[in-house]
Amino acid sequence: MKHYSDLEYLQLSKGKRFGYRVASFFTGIPKALWNFVKKIGNILKNAGLAVANEAKDIVSTFVQGDWKTKVSYLVMGFGCLARGQILRGLLFLLFEAVFIGYMIITGGYYLSMLPSLGKVGPHTEYNAILDVDVPVHGDNSFKILLYGVLTIFFIIAFVYTWRVNVKQNKIAEQILKSGKKLKSGKDDLRSLVDDQFHKTLLALPSIGILIFTVMPIVFMILVAFTNYSSINDGYETNLFHWVGFKNFETIFSWDVGGVNYAATFGEILTWTLLWAFFATFTNYFLGILVAMMINKKGIHLKKVWRTILIMTIAIPQFISLLYVSKMFTLNGLFNGLLLDLGITKQAVDFWGNTDNSGLLARIMVIIINIWIGIPYLMLIATGILMNIPADLYESAKIDGASGWKQFSKITLPYMLFITGPYLLTSFTGNMNNFNVIYLLTGGGPTNAVRSGASGSVGFTDLLITWLFKITTSGSSDKGSEYYLASVIGILVFLVVSIISLIVYGLLPSVKNEEDFQ
Amino acid sequence: MASVKLTNVKKVYDNNVVAVHDFNLDIKDKEFVVFVGPSGCGKSTTLRMVAGLEEISGGTVEIDGEVVNDLQPKDRNIAMVFQNYALYPHMSVYDNIAFSLRLQKVPEDVIYNKVTNAAEILGITEYLMRKPRALSGGQRQRVAIGRAMVRDSKVFLMDEPLSNLDAKLRNQMRAEIILLRQKLDTTFIYVTHDQTEAMTLGDRIVIMKDGYIMQVGTPTEVFEMPENLFVAEFIGAPKMNVLRTNLMKAGDKYYVTPFGAKLVVDGEKGDLLKKKQVAGGEVLLGVRPEHIVLADPKDEGAIPVTLEVNEMMGSELHLHVYTEDGTRLIVRIPTIDLTPEQREGMVTGAKLYVTFEGKVMHFFNPETEKNLLF
Amino acid sequence: MKKKLPLGAIISLILGIIFVLGGCFLLANRFMPEPLWSYNSAYLTDNFLFILFGALAAFIGILLLVYAFSSFKRNNVDNEKMKQHMGMKATSRISNTVIYVLLILISIVWLVPFICIVIQSFRIQPTGMTRYLFENPEAGLKEGLAIKFGFDNYVRLFTQTQFPKWYLNTFIIAIIVAVVQTIIVLCMSYTLSRFRFKLRKPMMQFMLILGMFPGMLSMIILYQVLKDLGLALDNAVPGLILVYVASSGMGYYVSKGFFDTIPKALDEAARIDGATRAQVLYKIILPLSKPIVIYTVLSAFMGPWGDFVFARYISNGRIGAYNVAVGLQSWLATTTMAMENYTMFCAGGVIVAIPIVILFMCLQRYYVEGVTGGAVKG
Repeated sequence: MKHYSDLEYLQLSKGKRFGYRVASFFTGIPKALWNFVKKIGNILKNAGLAVANEAKDIVSTFVQGDWKTKVSYLVMGFGCLARGQILRGLLFLLFEAVFIGYMIITGGYYLSMLPSLGKVGPHTEYNAILDVDVPVHGDNSFKILLYGVLTIFFIIAFVYTWRVNVKQNKIAEQILKSGKKLKSGKDDLRSLVDDQFHKTLLALPSIGILIFTVMPIVFMILVAFTNYSSINDGYETNLFHWVGFKNFETIFSWDVGGVNYAATFGEILTWTLLWAFFATFTNYFLGILVAMMINKKGIHLKKVWRTILIMTIAIPQFISLLYVSKMFTLNGLFNGLLLDLGITKQAVDFWGNTDNSGLLARIMVIIINIWIGIPYLMLIATGILMNIPADLYESAKIDGASGWKQFSKITLPYMLFITGPYLLTSFTGNMNNFNVIYLLTGGGPTNAVRSGASGSVGFTDLLITWLFKITTSGSSDKGSEYYLASVIGILVFLVVSIISLIVYGLLPSVKNEEDFQ
Repeated sequence: MASVKLTNVKKVYDNNVVAVHDFNLDIKDKEFVVFVGPSGCGKSTTLRMVAGLEEISGGTVEIDGEVVNDLQPKDRNIAMVFQNYALYPHMSVYDNIAFSLRLQKVPEDVIYNKVTNAAEILGITEYLMRKPRALSGGQRQRVAIGRAMVRDSKVFLMDEPLSNLDAKLRNQMRAEIILLRQKLDTTFIYVTHDQTEAMTLGDRIVIMKDGYIMQVGTPTEVFEMPENLFVAEFIGAPKMNVLRTNLMKAGDKYYVTPFGAKLVVDGEKGDLLKKKQVAGGEVLLGVRPEHIVLADPKDEGAIPVTLEVNEMMGSELHLHVYTEDGTRLIVRIPTIDLTPEQREGMVTGAKLYVTFEGKVMHFFNPETEKNLLF
Repeated sequence: MKKKLPLGAIISLILGIIFVLGGCFLLANRFMPEPLWSYNSAYLTDNFLFILFGALAAFIGILLLVYAFSSFKRNNVDNEKMKQHMGMKATSRISNTVIYVLLILISIVWLVPFICIVIQSFRIQPTGMTRYLFENPEAGLKEGLAIKFGFDNYVRLFTQTQFPKWYLNTFIIAIIVAVVQTIIVLCMSYTLSRFRFKLRKPMMQFMLILGMFPGMLSMIILYQVLKDLGLALDNAVPGLILVYVASSGMGYYVSKGFFDTIPKALDEAARIDGATRAQVLYKIILPLSKPIVIYTVLSAFMGPWGDFVFARYISNGRIGAYNVAVGLQSWLATTTMAMENYTMFCAGGVIVAIPIVILFMCLQRYYVEGVTGGAVKG
């Protein structure tokens, strides 16, 4: 594509300018992706260099270190203890003892079983006393996978701590050589509320995130490569095993036992993106509109209007969503109103499958989502509108801009600039907006064509509700196919991260941070 | 009350940007040292390294003979005044000043005495119960100074304390800082980008650029003998005129030939040139605006110029003129030296003749920009 | 200078009185054993429209009265200024009228469901879902408009169902989560805002990436783990607390944005004054962060009331361990159940919403600050 200089660009006609920008947007995508790949390559390269450096440092510390340091390579914390840093030394030693104990007692077993995920399944065994075959449990695949992952985490933590231990020895030697005193345990404790305060503050939250967010995600990513389901639960019924990429093949194939998973996934993904688009932008623009109406000069009772809308935020969403969903059922209040007013002769089946495409239900969830979302957007937009410098409008008025021009040339660009990142997060948030969909329609009306797929797919199902349905109900013959849910979860992650990556690189507020400052 | 010694101090940021290179400075006890330079020259960074707010990447900082590199700010016994005052908005003026004493667990009656004493000196006694937001800029500045005063610290650090004040208040506070310094009688390190502040306040001035020290010296030294072109241009307002010209040696005397005129270098500068046995050749000639004077057209050294802008400053005129080859010069002439007719003639387009004072010229090497006389 | 009463205030006072009286009349008329005013229409049945519009009119009337009195109070409007405004263009007056109409419509649309839910929570017969707020109009007309409302639903809620238990469960969860989550979020955001350590950027990027995984994915394993620990099923309350609290560090964003706006020079000044980092946090930063602390507490407290997915999965059918969301949803799970419990669901919803709405309205200012700040920071 021809690249215009600034002055050439200015000579283009309006249409050409637009075309040029669109073209450069799309031609920019491969470059952005390539940059991303390059960045990852760089990260990997740097990581490799860092590891090499660490290894070199470990060796040189050993060679140059005194005997206390050398013993510390085997007995962690020995150097610290020998040099009088009792607290640090004891902590290192304790950690090593716990680690070795754990590995001997349980860790070793789980680690060795990890490649097979269990060898002996539940079976029956002859019981000599009762003289019958009784069911006996064998290995537990679930626990093997879980504790296997935990053990790997633990090993990584151990290696890291060991490295810190080595480094400590090196630093201590250097300090002693320069004639200074080492920090005592008391100093260490004191620095935990001062220069090392961040470690204290981050300790608890990080452990929480590690155990309750990172670990489950790692586990579930691994599940996508097994056949873990409620039928193969790994203990009570059957063991589960590694299956490689089979589950991904399932989701992308046209015919798996009569079910077209690729089409099902495609349809749901399309609707998820459509829904996220409409849900985000209808809310966004209508929210700005409402905020502008309330904030317009000469409108009284500003506080009252705002309070009415804000009040609806306070009411827990499950109440308003469930209630509104019932309002629109066949014998709900809204149909009553329509009949009362004589607008329709027959009750309208808002949630039903009237035209075999679920169109009405889809429109309804978008409309009701507007009802849910506008108050938030109104709040956000009000905050930003009040921050737009008044002199921008004053100079625009002097330049002769009409009300509409002021909106389109000042208000909207300003809003878009400030809320660009918010729009992105709210788009991805809407892709995963479980509550609105599940509480309004439960994913329905049911899509008969796709009935064979796990989790009884409906027309308003998002990927996230589909995932939920697979894990909770699943299909009749295969049970809850957790592995399928994991695959969908990973795909959701991929879609979200790709969108974020592309959009984030193109956001004006990221690119030209100072424009509106 | 302590000396401060910086040896090979270096600051490298995470992105490998070097903010301060190899900074060496010995600050004597009770000395008032000013760091001055354009923004981004590393002066604040150096000060913050002394304070302990920035990690020191290399070298050592000593306060009173003790290496403080690894000490937390609170353990260095220093006081600091910040550019934006950094008053605690939720505390009254009294609590602001008393904050450090309370952290040291000083008895309340001692705190009371110290705070009221400081407030007395600074003239903020009546505002003690107010919150900072109810104070004017100058008052806030005083509170910030008061907060630093009560600490009886070894070193007093000030990071551009006057740059948020308007011009009039700044002059007033500058005078007050001079008085304060006499009262406190301690070591001061003062950072500013304003050369006037540096000249009026400092015992010694450290001029910095891009992380390097350009010159260290008393105000007189840096003004009369700038080590290099940067210092020469930075100190003094309006800026020094710099032109490329030839330095010639004819017999016993040195001449410069700007714009075809032939000007003799005499006085101290001429003697120095002789002593250094400078060979001559192409040089950068620096002439301060106040050292350009109106000349008689018949004079040998008269340079014809055309007046472009005449700025009337009151006691003096700043004339922006250009020579025949288009070089722009700034000339500063005391109003008192001009007759009323001469003053009326100073309109845009007027033809004037000027010449340079030979004894106060500066010569710089065109490549290294170093002063030839150093 | 003589002060004049502003015209708008007088008009809204008069309108307010009319609206309140009219609304009360409509409502009263409906609930009188003998109607004060009889009406006859084929379609306009009493149930829906009269009660609804009566309630709405009364509500709007009250708002108008509040406005009128408040403008009487600050009745020091400069008359000269008023006169200048009289020259306002007619177009702007028209557009303002249009906006008022729109705003009134919006208010109605937003309020109707909540008014309906309150009204239906008092309905006794039938208890199922109907097209009417009270009862079938045909039957009603025939029975001489007998009063069919009362506190039965609420009584039943507290005597015959598990609702009090659910309420207590949710309340305990909400209180503990509010406290612990606030502490964790503040620790996290203070650290990320104020400290510069090697892992800071990688940590933030890592959490950003973690946030892109659907949280629901971890449900299966968390359930299994909690079950092993004895913190699921009947014992779901502590388990849920653990789950909510454990990953709350990820929600540091809004308060970090707030901390970033507090000048760093304050920290530095305090550190030079002799404060440790911990002292900086609780002597300088926290006193200055009141709005964001309140926002964090409020949103942490409100979260558990609406959580549905985890609560349902982890309690897994054990009724005693439900929270209100799961419990009330279970009443509407099937059509037959909805026919029995619909009005009780409404009553439950009202009971759940009232304290939260009151709390929310009191702390509204801080919430708005948090939401706006968070969005602007991205």
